[in-house]
Amino acid sequence: MSFLFNRRPRTNTVDLPKQAKEQITKINGPGGAVKSEELAKTLTQMKFMLQGTQETETSPEQIFALVTGMIHEDLLYLLALNLYRLPFESRKDAQVIFSYVLRFKPPNASPKSDPIALSHVINSRPQVLVELCNGYEHKESATAAGTVLREVLKHDSAAALILYDDPNKSPENAARGLNGIQVDVRQSGKGVFWNFFSWIDQGSFEVGADAFTTFRELLTKHKQIVAQYLSTNFDLFFDNYNDILMKSSSYVTKRQSIKLLGEILLDRANYAVMTAYVDRGEHLKICMNLLRDERKMVQYEGFHVFKVFVANPHKSVAVQKILLNNRDKLLKFLQHFLEDRTEDEQFIDEREFLIKQIRNMPPTPVEPTQKPALLSQQPR
Amino acid sequence: MSDGSAYTVLQELGSGSFGVVYKAIENSTGEVVAIKHIDLESSEDDIQEIQQEISVLSTCASPFVTQYKASFLRGHKLWIVMEYLGGGSCLDLLKPGSFNEAHIAIICRELLFGLEYLHQEGKIHRDIKAANVLLSTTGKVKLADFGVAAQLTNIKSQRNTFVGTPFWMAPEVIQQAGYDFKADIWSLGITAMELINGEPPNASTHPMKVLFLIPKQPAPRLEGSQYSKDFKDFVAQCLVKDCDRRPSAKELLKHKFIQKAGKVEALQELVERKQEWDGGKSRPSHPKFYEETLRTMAPKQDPEEWVFDTVKVVPRKNTTKRRKLSVIHVNGQNIYDGPEDAFKRLDLKDSPLEYSSPPPVTMKKSTVRRQPSAVQLITPVKQRQASTQKRPLQPDLNFGNSGSTVRVFRRVSDNSTLAQVSNDDNLEGVTRDENRPPGVEISTKESVLGRRTFSKVVDPSFQELHAQTSNQAKREALSRLADAWSALDAIDPEGEYQLLKLMIDRVQSDSKLSSLLAPEKGSLKDGTPQVTPRKNAGKLILAQNNPHLQSHRRRQSTVQPDEHREKLANLPGQAHSGMEHTKQLADVLYGRWLDGLRNKWPAV
Repeated sequence: MSFLFNRRPRTNTVDLPKQAKEQITKINGPGGAVKSEELAKTLTQMKFMLQGTQETETSPEQIFALVTGMIHEDLLYLLALNLYRLPFESRKDAQVIFSYVLRFKPPNASPKSDPIALSHVINSRPQVLVELCNGYEHKESATAAGTVLREVLKHDSAAALILYDDPNKSPENAARGLNGIQVDVRQSGKGVFWNFFSWIDQGSFEVGADAFTTFRELLTKHKQIVAQYLSTNFDLFFDNYNDILMKSSSYVTKRQSIKLLGEILLDRANYAVMTAYVDRGEHLKICMNLLRDERKMVQYEGFHVFKVFVANPHKSVAVQKILLNNRDKLLKFLQHFLEDRTEDEQFIDEREFLIKQIRNMPPTPVEPTQKPALLSQQPR
Repeated sequence: MSDGSAYTVLQELGSGSFGVVYKAIENSTGEVVAIKHIDLESSEDDIQEIQQEISVLSTCASPFVTQYKASFLRGHKLWIVMEYLGGGSCLDLLKPGSFNEAHIAIICRELLFGLEYLHQEGKIHRDIKAANVLLSTTGKVKLADFGVAAQLTNIKSQRNTFVGTPFWMAPEVIQQAGYDFKADIWSLGITAMELINGEPPNASTHPMKVLFLIPKQPAPRLEGSQYSKDFKDFVAQCLVKDCDRRPSAKELLKHKFIQKAGKVEALQELVERKQEWDGGKSRPSHPKFYEETLRTMAPKQDPEEWVFDTVKVVPRKNTTKRRKLSVIHVNGQNIYDGPEDAFKRLDLKDSPLEYSSPPPVTMKKSTVRRQPSAVQLITPVKQRQASTQKRPLQPDLNFGNSGSTVRVFRRVSDNSTLAQVSNDDNLEGVTRDENRPPGVEISTKESVLGRRTFSKVVDPSFQELHAQTSNQAKREALSRLADAWSALDAIDPEGEYQLLKLMIDRVQSDSKLSSLLAPEKGSLKDGTPQVTPRKNAGKLILAQNNPHLQSHRRRQSTVQPDEHREKLANLPGQAHSGMEHTKQLADVLYGRWLDGLRNKWPAV
């Protein structure tokens, strides 16, 4: 922090974003190494200005000037876009800068208003969010981008923007940020949200696990938005989910996604999605195979999805067929399923309940009295 | 980083409830590393927490913090590759005896550098103690074990989660009043005392009680002419109860005691001392080598595949048994796509003998194996068991004073039948820990009486009170207590009798209580038995606020020395013979409390 005081008069607050912009656009070109060093210094300076140090307090006026400067120079976008190119320490600085800037409210703002930079991003520069997600493309930027994203995702509008990002969207709608979202239009599957599936299931544990954490936030934090989204994009979502996540060869991906599936299905807000999901015989098959997985925790998580199929009072004919075909095996299997879970009362009760349900099923499939409200768009 | 590189795994360095740590060589560089294997199958819900630990670690780059290198999945094991520090932990190094002030000053200075770094990065370590301070063979000091570390998004913000290890915990952490970086400074002060005395203050007290003592008692001090004035002052500075008046790491670096500290090389003496000490002792002659478990579980009867009319499930042929594997290739994440695949990858070289001669590639460097005598090679049978997830009601005697941060308790059902308690697992769990022969024999008069008090007094009382209680939460609490009591009855009727007797005695010796309750010897009215334990439980529950307990389950750093355990056993509040029951009950209550917290924060 000595450089804040000792050197020649430093550039003032307004110049910092400008300076950072100039440096960031050149780190890829000739002399990039030098620029990147300069940029590192600029970012550190910005960080200290925003968070203060253990010795110095911050000045809201200075921060206000900095934040508006950053908006003016479109620096948030540039930082998100180039996050992985920054050196180790600068990535952390950038993460801190994002956190502070996206939270900052001018001292005179009403407590209910959104932070100024955040509302700028949401209303006119949603690409910042998209580029933050793209941080998962690179191991270097994944953690920093993920940390920022999860903080931003506390706002439902940010979650909506990420979910509804779609290159097929008309450019004018895209530029309108939140107002450009049409919830009833089906997604093309090319938007940034759909990349999460591959980010989660790529090689590195660090990147995959972080991407999954963000993915989970996206799908569980804002229930109404997600319920609507999943209803509209039911097939696309579950095709991806089943093929990439549930069948993943990575233990972590597999186990976490089964668990998340259970959480999504059992969420009250997703009732329509749940009934549609458990209507499909294909889904039941995936689930029954999980029960036979060789890893106990996979079996256990699989059980919590399987139980939804069995407990459903309006089982489809397809589901009934599968259960009936396997009735004896299932009964025998469930008797001894995860026997060593002797202390998990809820599990034991549920297992007993399922056994009873399966045992008491009528011998031939019966047409259900009620069909899922959410009829699948593409019959299979 | 992990792409295409390979590690040669050498012997085991230690283990904890989270898994096992191995020494290994990175083949491409010849560098010696430590690899922590975490068995994800044995943890219910920890993946996200582990990821949290990794993200804290991976954003640290300081010579005073153990360097994280990489992490990757192999099947359901997560491997975390870290810098290897051959000197062992300060707790290990304390075994031959306590440190002198000169050594402690150096260690404290280096730790302060480490803390200064962490704190300016917005990180709180939250578990500073000798067991988490590692030394290199050259005397470098590094902070390790970030299992409960916190990352603050705002440098000035505070936390109020309840984590750490009781003896080292700052009062403000226990009181949940909101704390910040200063909590680490307190723990550093306690660690300094641990290094000079061989154990932290209050080590003889039960950790649960310590949680009450720390906020209540005056801060511990070093007293006596055997300590220098500077050292005493340094400890006093760290241990200021009011965290606002407690100095920061940066400020403490200017303290006289630290300023006068010597070079880190002097710490080599500690490492050498430990090596000599180890040499003089007979220790297990065979280091434990890494053994790859490929597929150990026998597949269930495969004829029982599901019948789906369209999809044919390929039956698994699973014949691979345990094999030893010396060189492990790491290509991204999926090393083994299936057993067949795994089998293909095996080759004849993978015989157990491969271990004793390192592969030629790695020989040229100075990484030639030397028995790392500084590192404990004790067979950690017990710790291993810890990771197998079956530990009903198992009190961990190592608690607090050695490596463990928080012990693991299994949930016990609300069902208060004896049958449930006497199942094998349960009995084994408890008896093993109490070092008693398995099985419960009712031989003594006391034990007969104990059984009688249970059936005539305790159980009916519980039943009655339970029936009278309408509030759901209260009912549940009561049924848990009944449950715990029946466990005690099943295992130690004698102790049960003693417990009741002691309670009645206490009640009678208190004039106020005795006039109200159980005036006659031998009779016990409803509710009385709960008085004491309930009070504790109630008080503890007030302090609950802990999303990090889950990660605690994994916290048990490295090796638990056996002699330490013996020492502990002699201390009051640990396990007096004939007094196990009281400890057990306290442990059960403490476990309940932890469970309560865990239930309250299921998502975390």
